[in-house]
Amino acid sequence: MKMRTKLVSMLSIAVFAAPLTSYSAQGNAENGKKIYDKRCVWCHGEEGAGDGPAAERVNPAPRDFTSGMYKIKTTPFDEVSPKDEDIFRMISDGMPDSSMPPWKDMLSEQERWDLVAYLKKFAGLENPKKELDFSKQVKTSAESIERGKKLFLDRCAECHGETGKGVSIKKLKDDLGFRTWPRNFTKPWTFRASNDPKDIFARMSVGIPGTQMPSFADPSSKKKLSDEERWDVANYVVSLADSTKEVRAENTVVKASRIEGELPSEPGDPKWMEAEPSTFLLVPQIIGQERFFTPSNNSITSRAYYNDKDISILIEWDDRTASAPGDPKAAEIAEGEVSADAVAVQFPVTIPLEMEKPYFGHGDAAWPINIWYWNTGEAGASQVTKLLNATGFAKKDERDAAKAGLVTKGVYDKGTWRVVMKRPLVTGEKDKDIQFVEGRFTPIAFAAWDGTNGEKGSKHTMTTWYWILLKPKVGMSVYFIPLIVAGLVVGAELLWLASARKKKSS
Amino acid sequence: MKLPKLLQAVLVVVAVYIAFKLVFSVGLQQPIPSSLLTMYMFFVVVATLLVTTATEESAKEMSGPIKALVEDPSKKTIRNIVFVLVPLLAGWMTYSNLRPSFEAPVELRTIHPAPPGSMKAFGKSYDLAKLENPFRKYQKEDPEKFKALVKEGGAVYYKNCHYCHGDKLDGQGQYAQGFNPLPLNFQDIGTIAQLQESFLFWRIATGGPGLPKEATPWLSAMPVWKDFLTEDEIWKVILFLYDYTGQAPRSWAAH
Ligand code: HEC
Ligand code: HEC
Repeated sequence: MKMRTKLVSMLSIAVFAAPLTSYSAQGNAENGKKIYDKRCVWCHGEEGAGDGPAAERVNPAPRDFTSGMYKIKTTPFDEVSPKDEDIFRMISDGMPDSSMPPWKDMLSEQERWDLVAYLKKFAGLENPKKELDFSKQVKTSAESIERGKKLFLDRCAECHGETGKGVSIKKLKDDLGFRTWPRNFTKPWTFRASNDPKDIFARMSVGIPGTQMPSFADPSSKKKLSDEERWDVANYVVSLADSTKEVRAENTVVKASRIEGELPSEPGDPKWMEAEPSTFLLVPQIIGQERFFTPSNNSITSRAYYNDKDISILIEWDDRTASAPGDPKAAEIAEGEVSADAVAVQFPVTIPLEMEKPYFGHGDAAWPINIWYWNTGEAGASQVTKLLNATGFAKKDERDAAKAGLVTKGVYDKGTWRVVMKRPLVTGEKDKDIQFVEGRFTPIAFAAWDGTNGEKGSKHTMTTWYWILLKPKVGMSVYFIPLIVAGLVVGAELLWLASARKKKSS
Repeated sequence: MKLPKLLQAVLVVVAVYIAFKLVFSVGLQQPIPSSLLTMYMFFVVVATLLVTTATEESAKEMSGPIKALVEDPSKKTIRNIVFVLVPLLAGWMTYSNLRPSFEAPVELRTIHPAPPGSMKAFGKSYDLAKLENPFRKYQKEDPEKFKALVKEGGAVYYKNCHYCHGDKLDGQGQYAQGFNPLPLNFQDIGTIAQLQESFLFWRIATGGPGLPKEATPWLSAMPVWKDFLTEDEIWKVILFLYDYTGQAPRSWAAH
């Protein structure tokens, strides 16, 4: 009897240890439904059709599970079903730069498999019959990247742009008619899966179902790439990551260095590249007035210099479209009417001495703010510079920018706007303009508008308050004084020793 | 075994230092500002010295090891090491004080400030000390109706709040990192479970600008929801917050 139970338990272990072809066999769809009804309906909808209450206010839209289409999968392009592990992975890790969160910190592994089992029911998905063949990975190298670059320019640039920033030359919509933006490869943190070469290889081989991102492994396509070629392109895509565009939580200060002589006032001046960049997250304006939920821009980078007279600030942000009203090319790819691309920075009129500062939504009656604004202007006309003072969302006064000495200039180049704003450190109107002071932490906030994405007025992206600091020059005394202090201590020690010796010998 | 007096004093100072750091970073979730720390530690050192050198005997006991270091020939090696380290330390401390710091100032704020006695919204005045959620009673009286109200509250949440407070109500919404202070995490037992529903009503209806000064109203990105939501919608979304996180509001009885 004892022997038999042992045998049975050994057998059952063997069964469980054997590789399972379908992991959702582990999942209990009924329990999956319970979890789904509590946690997922809000976006994915009661019946899985992607039509929950949140749906109309997020882009990308929540997945419609009844379509059976999954974006991130590792089965071949001609196989509809994803692997269970693919679904499990997206539930666990979430999809960055979308509203789909990672669930692994809240739901147990079993619960996530239960969800997989339930989700598959919405479209009656069968288990896949084929797996994606990753072939033999080509390790990254200068040669592989070079080969990849050539193929990239030929196959991918039409959507992802020459520089991989996703510059649009055509208007892309997914199968449901929602606007899609080709991924910006210089920002790996925006990838729904990841920018690991294996992930990029998979996306290229499979395509992204439901969107215009095609498969490059489909033999019937003129654009087909061989396995090695796809690895080369993947290595090139990885190499495009730009660390200056990484948003770091501890990074809250734009540090302006002091230079002698002329400040750079051209956006393309190579001197800018020597200045330390600070990158901030751009979030849609969802706080006041008419709110905006479907942004296309997601980060903004700033650098600054000053000299004894002026301050010059460079603002850079990736924007897939250069938009000027009246430009037919912009109209072709725009969502509705084209507005001007624009950017603004905001400062308190008076630099706070204590913690209190103006309300970050354009100040308040006690704390007015300055806004420096630039936009690209009508097609063929000149760019626009504005100086505004505000005491709240809707309380803005336009002032004379030229009188305050504010000058701006913007240049669009292959997916990136670079705008320089320059002004004297001090102006004639001390009660209306911010007066910059060396070494003083000064609040600064940014806003940007993508005119082809319906952004206009209060519909735009923005940042909270950060700081700008005019870094004081560090004198030599910082090094000398510590040396002197150390020297004095040594002297005292020697004196002490000498007196101790004297005492002893006497 | 009795510890030498000098060692005792050093240990006390180090322990207090660590305690300060811990209380601030773990307890208050904020790093302690260095100027404040310097001031506190100055008092601690002075107090320790006063206590340990109170009697002549104890003063001798304190200074004994130091004296021995210089006078006792057998301690030569230690002495040489100490005599090199001390000036280096003094130099380093001077340098780190003089070196200009380009780190942003720390902003201390109160997370759950005291609410006012009353507030105005939706064209009327509310007495916050008496205010209760008009829908709470259905939890017992009519569970089906309550469930439907929670669901409506959920819809309000996912149309307006998840961007910041998170799809999972964990304060990690898609745009949370773009705000400072970070959006509140409702899953944390230190947040809504500690509060009454009337407090939430006040915070939601009046948003960031409705906060008192100690809670830095100028920084909070919390919208003024009375501009976007109806009174009923606010009460329903409050039901949802407690229901989803499995927490209960603090009641007047327990207060
Ligand atoms: C706040 C909204 C929201 C909630 C809540 C949410 N999702 Fe999603 N989910 C999304 C969005 C948006 C996408 C699509 C992202 C994209 O297309 O880039 C998505 C995509 C997915 C995908 C598709 C992955 C693919 O490869 O196409 C799965 C699977 C998924 N969600 C499962 C879940 C499950 C399970 C839950 C509940 C535990 C859940 N989601 C809750 C918003 C949400
Ligand atoms: C016809 C337009 C088009 C072409 C050509 C194209 N892509 Fe894409 N690609 C897209 C779109 C649109 C998306 C975004 C899909 C979405 O909404 O998730 C995308 C997304 C991606 C992603 C994102 C994966 C992730 O995890 O987020 C990768 C990687 C990618 N493409 C690689 C490539 C490569 C490499 C090529 C060339 C071999 C290429 N694409 C060619 C349109 C295109």
